[in-house]
Amino acid sequence: MANMKELTKGIFRENPVFIIMLGMCPTLGVTTQVFNAIGMGAGVIFVLLGSNIFISLLRKVIPDSVRIPAYIVIIASFVTIVQMVLQAYVPALYAALGVYIPLIVVNCIILGRAEAFANKNTVVDSILDAIGMGIGFTLSLLLIAAIREIIGAGTITLLNLSETTRIVITLPVISKSPVRVLTLAPGALLVMGYLKAYFSWNSERKAAKGGNV
Amino acid sequence: MTQYLKVAGILFAICAVAAICLGFINEVTAPQIAAINRAQTEAAYQQIAPGFTFGEEREGEGVVSYNIPLSKDGKIAGYILSLTGGGYGGSFTLVAAYNADGSVLGAKMMGNSETAGLGKKSEESWYMKMFAGLGGDKPLPNSKNDLEDPNLVSGASITFGGVTKALKAGSEYVRNLGGK
Repeated sequence: MANMKELTKGIFRENPVFIIMLGMCPTLGVTTQVFNAIGMGAGVIFVLLGSNIFISLLRKVIPDSVRIPAYIVIIASFVTIVQMVLQAYVPALYAALGVYIPLIVVNCIILGRAEAFANKNTVVDSILDAIGMGIGFTLSLLLIAAIREIIGAGTITLLNLSETTRIVITLPVISKSPVRVLTLAPGALLVMGYLKAYFSWNSERKAAKGGNV
Repeated sequence: MTQYLKVAGILFAICAVAAICLGFINEVTAPQIAAINRAQTEAAYQQIAPGFTFGEEREGEGVVSYNIPLSKDGKIAGYILSLTGGGYGGSFTLVAAYNADGSVLGAKMMGNSETAGLGKKSEESWYMKMFAGLGGDKPLPNSKNDLEDPNLVSGASITFGGVTKALKAGSEYVRNLGGK
């Protein structure tokens, strides 16, 4: 039961984007299309899982004074492996994700979970934490991307590997006159701001009722 | 002193293991990546300059990395250029085919770090078709406002500006070659 808490906390109670406010750069940058959110989320889950496992395994070996450089080496190595393997064997996906793959290195969620959780807990708990946080991050990106793409472009891009491998749902009315600002940088801040306000209000409401926040 | 050496040794060991793993993965993936890049470049040449005979690659200058003469009926009828430009996500590479008068035959965005959903649209075939036939008698656009529908490049003006600037430089380079 305690293990299940590690898995589910990242989805709502300690959601990395809306509650802990980690990983803001990729959250604001990649959420122009739903497909980008799926790709970024998958990449983050893989790297978070790998780095959490290794950092948890090495937590008694890595000296405290050099833990941050050691974590960065482990995280950057995982990201580089993902990048090389995708480029060699799934070039279409590599091209679609582009700059977002190396950006995972500087995603605060990865280093944040290494520092706050994996270096203090067992491998099993670290795996559950990585999966929960990764899913929470992915769902948050999907929510923001869906709002931005639907209102800002009138479309939902589910797959976008090339001009011939693409699944895009075009919404009949809004695609004719979309609110384009939502697909631009200010739109990301607007949507993030309103969603953060909603999550804060919801947390306070639950706290006032005496529930768990 | 011993403590410092121990800490340095552990950090060195972690870095060494990471470097060995990356070196091994690189050894396995590098030939595959090189083959994919070669195939993509050759496919791009065929796409932007169909029906021409390709000559030998020659060294370029400035933003032109290299040029390849295009021949038809034994005469040089144009060139393929590899151009480097600056976009929103940093520098990009595009290959462009020109007629000998400097007008664009076709172009294709290659390596780039533009934003998905915005600047990445420059990889799509319709994007480069906006420039086809321009650069000779008809000038290439100075800004997105010169396009029939500026909304096509909304949110990616810097990418559009970078592509236009690179294509203009290529057009001038081709005119200076004078059909040689």
